[in-house]
Amino acid sequence: MVSIAGVTPERALVPADRVELSAIVRDLYAAGKTFAFVGGGTELELGNPPRAIDTVVRTTALDRVIDYSPEDQTITVEAGMRIAALDAVLAEHNQLLPLETGDRRNATIGGAIATNAFGAQRHRYGSIKDLIVGIEFVRPDGTVAHGGGKVVKNVAGFDLPKLMVGSLGTLGGIASATFRVFPKPAGTRTVLVRTSPASAFYEALLEDRSLEPIAVAHHPAEGGIVLTFAGLIAGVAQQIAHVTQLAATHAIPVEELDQTALDRLAGAESSIRCSGAWRWTVSTNPVGACARVPAPVTTTAEIGYPTLGVTLASAAADASLDALNAARGAAIVFRAMPQHARGRIDAWGDPPQSFPLMRALKTNFDPKGLCNPGRFVGGL
Amino acid sequence: MSTLAADPLHDRFAAIVGARNAISEATELRTYECDGLLGFRIRPRIVVLPATTEEVAACVRLAAEHGLPIVPRGAGTGLSGGSLPVEGGIVIGTSRMTRILDVDFPNRRMRVQPGVINLDISKHLAPHGYYYAPDPSSQSVCTIGGNVAENSGGAHCLKYGFTVNHAVAARIVLSDGSIVDIGASEGEADARGYDLMGVFVGSEGLLGIVTEVVVRILRKPQATRTIFGTFPSTDEAGAAVSAIISSGILPAAIEMCDALAIEAIVAATGVDWPLDVGAALLMDVDGVTSEVEHTAEASIALMRECGAIEIRAPRDDAERLLMWKGRKAAFAAMGRISPNYHVQDGVIPRKDIAAVLREIAQLGRDAGLRIANVFHAGDGNLHPLVLYDQRVPGEEAKAEHVAGDILRVCLKYGGSVTGEHGVGRDKACYLGEQFSDDDLATMKLVRAAFDPRELFNPDKVFPTPHLCGDRPGPYVPHPTELSGEAGRG
Repeated sequence: MVSIAGVTPERALVPADRVELSAIVRDLYAAGKTFAFVGGGTELELGNPPRAIDTVVRTTALDRVIDYSPEDQTITVEAGMRIAALDAVLAEHNQLLPLETGDRRNATIGGAIATNAFGAQRHRYGSIKDLIVGIEFVRPDGTVAHGGGKVVKNVAGFDLPKLMVGSLGTLGGIASATFRVFPKPAGTRTVLVRTSPASAFYEALLEDRSLEPIAVAHHPAEGGIVLTFAGLIAGVAQQIAHVTQLAATHAIPVEELDQTALDRLAGAESSIRCSGAWRWTVSTNPVGACARVPAPVTTTAEIGYPTLGVTLASAAADASLDALNAARGAAIVFRAMPQHARGRIDAWGDPPQSFPLMRALKTNFDPKGLCNPGRFVGGL
Repeated sequence: MSTLAADPLHDRFAAIVGARNAISEATELRTYECDGLLGFRIRPRIVVLPATTEEVAACVRLAAEHGLPIVPRGAGTGLSGGSLPVEGGIVIGTSRMTRILDVDFPNRRMRVQPGVINLDISKHLAPHGYYYAPDPSSQSVCTIGGNVAENSGGAHCLKYGFTVNHAVAARIVLSDGSIVDIGASEGEADARGYDLMGVFVGSEGLLGIVTEVVVRILRKPQATRTIFGTFPSTDEAGAAVSAIISSGILPAAIEMCDALAIEAIVAATGVDWPLDVGAALLMDVDGVTSEVEHTAEASIALMRECGAIEIRAPRDDAERLLMWKGRKAAFAAMGRISPNYHVQDGVIPRKDIAAVLREIAQLGRDAGLRIANVFHAGDGNLHPLVLYDQRVPGEEAKAEHVAGDILRVCLKYGGSVTGEHGVGRDKACYLGEQFSDDDLATMKLVRAAFDPRELFNPDKVFPTPHLCGDRPGPYVPHPTELSGEAGRG
């Protein structure tokens, strides 16, 4: 049985299709049972311990492609589809969904939406909010609701897809979603520039109009900034030549990272995820990221620029609670923490000033408070 | 000015915003009777023009105290009647809230008041090599506050996204007069908790009024190339759009005009486009120079393969701007070829452009009306302009029928009734054909969280029997409704 932020539910149900999903939820709600939705179970550490969970509803059997139109570059899939399976479907048409998440084999689309998963490519493609164009979800009382649609441009009705992104299953369970997908670039190459994000050179790189990296990541353990370029093979080559030349004038070393090196970086991040160590997100803009990232414990980090500015860091298991809490000013969200710390630290920090609106939304969607209660910001 | 004293509330609003900025005199109110959707006119009770967030909040509190409906208004350029006043209600105009509050280059953000003109943001940034991406055709007059309410798009949102992708935070006033900051606060990339900003953008003034907006600013691309191509018909032009995008090219913009639209644009702007063609594409590719040169050449080759008659590149920046000016002036240009027109904003899957345009043309022929098309082809956002003459009895109603049928064609192809103009008053009666009753009820749960009394912009977006029995937009029952499969809210 999975455990959610340290709380183990009594039973798990696995709906076979979307109709059954809404029927199960309707019955649970009518019976006054608390419940939570779980996809691949790769982010179960996220959030505060729920007040109670009777039943886990696992979406993993909802794994179908509902509609894929390569020509329109849109795809509609069920929420339980694994990211890797989606990658494979899109790859057949040389397309991709630029959605980054730690564990593609296990993580599901629904989970990626609910947790607002993203990585360094947010620099070019935006976050899942910028990729999702439609959603179907089951409200806590079992009502099926849709928002957005299947076309890439659409302002009809309120933007329910955006509302569901990052809502951690507290407003209902995601049944399916539609995304805008992209053609695979002809070429993708990555370089490590041995400089710090606080350096003037780094700022100059980002201001240089002949460079358009798709991802910008800071890897302190590697000693520098990792830039990814994608596009036409000749265009990528010119951008890499340009970076190398610029760096040379500042005597800064640049090396290209081959697949082995990239796998090593991904492996390092993955092992941190699985280590049971503290993990946190410093949600901050780039200038803040340079200034306020808690220094003592960072082992990997990602800095997109300018839209991302988020650092994923990992602490040693014995990181001082006080030091981490002291950095709270920079809007830290703890994504994983040891069991003994859960009672002492709120994963989300103080709720924002707009919290009364969030509470009103939660109350309107889930008047009985049965859906993933207590796990989200401010005890929602 | 004798009516001034007639409204006892006038003085109370005047005490908040100043006497000159509280309007209740009949002739002055006429300016505010409608927005860009000229067919609807309602005279509000009072118009207030506050200058600060606090003044907005005080006006909202006073209106709420008296149960008056509140309609927010930017420049009034909206095409769906989103800022159409409500009888007996107030209009809060943001035309005095035009200050740029802060530009943060290192973090690429800018904080502005809602009355700032969209294009003025880019003008302000131009000397620094930055700009604001969403570019609705009305960008030289429309305001950022209106853009937030409508989730405005524009030609270049194909590559760069809509207002919702660029407005990261806002200060808003709710119907109880409270001032709330939503979205990513300073120092944050994402807000914690629900994405209130994501749902507020595009909520068409139903959730509250925005008094400050924080937008992302972008570095100008190194290179931009504009390509203009003509085709025998919209079939070939549509095929070219599909071929270009399927090839993996992501143009910054790709716009289509049909023969009738070209005729109007040429007559109105003097741009020297050929008149003996069936369709034209106007396309931008931008990015780093090394990529742009290649994608421009590849796009030209694909246009030729799809049957282009002629390909042109502007000789210089001035000609490029003229071409885009022609495109952006297209709606206004219709006046050259027709006394009146009804514009629609439906979206369809891109691959179906040619088929849908044929169906639209057939609807026009059946009704005996001309339909011009000028639209954002890259994302399938059509703008059919149904031309008519109000002086001919029955022609206006016929045009509205055709416009409604066009939306149904869009829905039949799995599309949407609006890509960027909003639902507003104009399309409220069609929203129930795109969404189920449960979908709409869910959206109303969101509204109830922000504005439980429904003081903000009532009679917009959501279909009601009251609205949908009204003129214009004569109500036509949907087949599913006649068969009892679907109802109407």
